[in-house]
Amino acid sequence: MSARDVRRFVKDLLRQRRPRRFAAGPEDAAELRAAIMLRAARPGGGAPTEEFVAGLYRRLAAELGGEAGPPRAGRRRFVQVTTAAAAAAALGAGADHLLTGGEQEAQPPTDRTLRPNDGQWRAIASAGELPEGGVKPFDLGTVAGFVTRSGGQLRAVSGTCTHLGCRLALDAPARRLACPCHRTTFAVDGTVLVHQLPLAPPPLPVLLVRENAGVVEVLVPPQRT
Amino acid sequence: MGELRAVTGVVQRFWAKRRAPERPEPESPPRLHVVGQDSYPDWDAVYRDNVDRVYRLMFAKVGNRPDAEDLTTEVFLTALRPLRVSASVAEVRAYLNATARTVLATHWRHTLGREITTLDDERDTVMCETPATDPGIIAQAEAILAELPERYRRVLRLRFLQACSLKEAAAELGITVGNAKVLQHRALRQAAAVAERMAT
Repeated sequence: MSARDVRRFVKDLLRQRRPRRFAAGPEDAAELRAAIMLRAARPGGGAPTEEFVAGLYRRLAAELGGEAGPPRAGRRRFVQVTTAAAAAAALGAGADHLLTGGEQEAQPPTDRTLRPNDGQWRAIASAGELPEGGVKPFDLGTVAGFVTRSGGQLRAVSGTCTHLGCRLALDAPARRLACPCHRTTFAVDGTVLVHQLPLAPPPLPVLLVRENAGVVEVLVPPQRT
Repeated sequence: MGELRAVTGVVQRFWAKRRAPERPEPESPPRLHVVGQDSYPDWDAVYRDNVDRVYRLMFAKVGNRPDAEDLTTEVFLTALRPLRVSASVAEVRAYLNATARTVLATHWRHTLGREITTLDDERDTVMCETPATDPGIIAQAEAILAELPERYRRVLRLRFLQACSLKEAAAELGITVGNAKVLQHRALRQAAAVAERMAT
């Protein structure tokens, strides 16, 4: 007698509950399928919640993070040279962030630096194009981002929002990177300044950058042809 | 497989506690993807680029949030661990799809004893950048509704697409709640028959 089970299954679907198990007969399948299809066609129901996406991310980070090998703090320090300007930006980040409310912080990643296995140094600007305090966007196909010179130090960050991957736009006067999707803004050093998400997105990945014979170069994965 | 099931159990208990009430969906802005043609830098990028797509696929196949969340969780827990991140984006997506197919089939075997819905290859690739609800499903639903008598169409539209309670649907149709219930069951049965006919 599965007609009742089918009805209960449909009722659960309509109430957005997890349908209970039962032994479905071959004659039930079409009706169950039709109910699922009609329910899935409800406008605006198909996307995951922000909460779920963030929760599963944390879970995966906990499960997979431990397998990422030994922490590479030494090399991170090499890249994240602390300058007066960076410290000031970090302070600013703290103050701004308070305005967005007392939500949880994302777990700090072990290493923010993107280090391609078979990377190559690609020129993105001449040294003259990037004076002290300058910010310059670049797009090398495999990686797009922003490079800055601050306190004499070059720094490059990814230009992709760490939330859902939208391309960040440079707000040059404010020296900020703005995400068009969910109003998240990052400092040019990659730290999160403002966000309205349930969970703070991670800071932007840092790219290795150097000045070589008057040319600013970034280490990026090679473009496959 | 045994391990996978154990993981699922944990995940299900985990999510059973935090089932979120249905909320209005925020406007989905156009999304640019992290990666281009080549490969993902790490699991993190794999997740961010695919979580939305996998969830939508699952939701379309099970029709409810708790199951869609569990199955999405299972896909990523199963797939990301042994994943070679050096694989190309296309390979990673194909691998996630294959995992999703298996996870969905297992879900149906465990819950209803038979496969009610399946994931097909050709649809998976289409669903990358869709708005909130997959236009393919809406079109399919509309095609089926169009084949039904007026009253059947109305009750299904009210209940399934417009999220009306039985009481609201009954009031809208000018009938008793009991009659609305019966009408809905008959309408669904006929919609199933129409869907089967269209599929063959």
